[in-house]
Amino acid sequence: MTGSIPAELSAQITAFVARLRTRHGFLVGAGEASDALRAAAVVDVLSKRQLRDALRAVLIARPEQARIFDHEFNTFFRAEDRPTPPELPPLLPETDAPGTEQETETAPSKPQEGEEQAPASTPPGPGEEPELTTVQAQPQGEAKEDPDDLGDDFQTLQTRLSPNAGVGGEVRSENGELRELLRAAAALIRAVELGRSRRLKSLARGPKLDARRTLRAAARTAGDPALLRWLGRPRRAPHFLLVLDGSRSMGRDATLLLRFAQALSLRTRRVEVYVFSTGLRRLTPYLRQAHPGQALALPDLGEAWGGGTRIGENLLQLARQERERVTRDTVVIILSDGLDTGEPAVLERALRDLKARAGRMVWLSPLAALPGYQPVQRAIQAALPHLDALLPAGGLEDLHHLGRRLKQRN
Amino acid sequence: MTSAADLTDPAALQTAFRAQGYVAGEALATALRLVPALQKPLLLEGPAGVGKTEAAKTLASALGTRLIRLQCYEGLDAQAALYEWNYARQLLYLRSAEISGGRVDDAELYGERFLMARPLLQAIQQDVAPVLLIDEIDRADDAFEAFLLELLAEWQITVPELGTITARTRPHTILTSNRSRELSDALRRRCLYHWVEYPTARQELEIVQARLPGIDAVLARQVTDAVHALRQLPLGKPPGVAETLDWAAALLTLHRDHLDAASIEATLGAVLKLREDQLLAAPTLRGVAGRAEAG
Repeated sequence: MTGSIPAELSAQITAFVARLRTRHGFLVGAGEASDALRAAAVVDVLSKRQLRDALRAVLIARPEQARIFDHEFNTFFRAEDRPTPPELPPLLPETDAPGTEQETETAPSKPQEGEEQAPASTPPGPGEEPELTTVQAQPQGEAKEDPDDLGDDFQTLQTRLSPNAGVGGEVRSENGELRELLRAAAALIRAVELGRSRRLKSLARGPKLDARRTLRAAARTAGDPALLRWLGRPRRAPHFLLVLDGSRSMGRDATLLLRFAQALSLRTRRVEVYVFSTGLRRLTPYLRQAHPGQALALPDLGEAWGGGTRIGENLLQLARQERERVTRDTVVIILSDGLDTGEPAVLERALRDLKARAGRMVWLSPLAALPGYQPVQRAIQAALPHLDALLPAGGLEDLHHLGRRLKQRN
Repeated sequence: MTSAADLTDPAALQTAFRAQGYVAGEALATALRLVPALQKPLLLEGPAGVGKTEAAKTLASALGTRLIRLQCYEGLDAQAALYEWNYARQLLYLRSAEISGGRVDDAELYGERFLMARPLLQAIQQDVAPVLLIDEIDRADDAFEAFLLELLAEWQITVPELGTITARTRPHTILTSNRSRELSDALRRRCLYHWVEYPTARQELEIVQARLPGIDAVLARQVTDAVHALRQLPLGKPPGVAETLDWAAALLTLHRDHLDAASIEATLGAVLKLREDQLLAAPTLRGVAGRAEAG
């Protein structure tokens, strides 16, 4: 049962490890391959289940990898008379150069869906249009005419994020913009003050005696603790939970805010990013793996992008999903225009849940950047009692000032 | 008491665990068997209340070795986890040496007599490999996680005043996490990994019967079925195995042999700990009570 394993199986295991690494980006190298062989030697290799369980314990590091592992294992170690299971796509699909996504395999199969997308998504509720009239002109009309916003048939959002395919005539340098956004992100991180950490650190003054350093000093004065040293509590580092409204009404603001979320992810690891439209989607892994020098490419976000708006339901789902991760170190930033068709009571409950656990609740609205803006939308009205700040997010300028504005409210 | 050598037998660990009232699935049993075999730590992740901590405790019992537990919390630092000097005794020693006219050098002042070993140092000083449980590592901060990397890789620590202390035996290490914070890739790479899921209804029934031997078979099945129905709901705090056991124990205390609306109402606090969850689950529980009473 235990001991050495057949050379053929060793070779297979080594190849299997390499496949997980190259095809699915598992962080497994020679060390893990060696551990996998040792693990195989511990279990009964004639029992496929035992071999699978042992290799899984060695080779995966996250729950989401388990499905890929099991599929690849079944493909690799299948009996010869069993048919090959269909290929599993890689975790992150390779993306084409900008503008080439229509040539992908899926494009011809769903051309008509792009046209049908608007009716397929949640139709705007009766509350949406009247709310629009309460504020001054905003780029809603532009967004609706944008053909890019109609289609979910693209493999990536690359064209949406490309400044050349944007809805307006403005063309910005993407790299230059990223630099600006990184600066804004760094300013935001610096500006957030959540209070003090529980971890004690040697500081010039603090609430607790640093016995170790005091004793060191006392040893030089014959045991007389003449020089007292102190332990203090440093500032708590913030964790950000960004929730981006990717619905159609957000227009091109959504792409700017998405890039801001990417910039924040590049500046700190303590970021979780979600996007929602009628459905909710976690973006953190995609943003974390995005190459800063290239345009941001994301897979098809389905219901989470470009459709109607269900702020309340999605925030409620998020509040449950992230319940354990939202702590008093978390700054929840909701980026939305607040044009919602859902029930304000649901939104209120979601925000109450989040507020009870989070350190700060901030709502950024592109509409709030418009002169004469009044927060009269039903969603904003429901949200206001639970927010620490409602701030404008009309463009780069506002994002630059975000840190300063938050600091003023600390 | 089982010896570690017995655990190379695939069924032995599951049997040993079952004898302790812990029903471990095959995958978890395999992962646990690899801990001593590969001498690598095992990271157990999963929802709260699925038995991650209990798995480590049971492993210690099954191996017949000591359990050393480090409970992680925000602000935990290396000193609290490794060692501390007994400063009060050191100061007294310094003062008394001064009064008696003696001299105290550093080697004396920082000798082992003044050293207070905390869990991690205790774990590497054992002659027989203990089970080291680093519980809720996600609650500790990044700095502590980074510190832990070195220990888990080298199994040695450096006390500046004493030098490097190498582990006599490598502890069988279990780390648990509720995923309240994303752990670093570096830590994950140093560990074996297993995601602990809620037990199946049949496994949970076995757990209830193993832990509460006097329980009525019908009641045990009704309780586990009801808990499984509750876990399908979008609850803020879904019931874990501990809640199932608490609920069953509460019903036993009230001398109930089956579930009905009155007994559910009287004991609901043992299984659902949030008011919103109790309201959300009310229709489901009414259905459970109705089915129980009907059949």
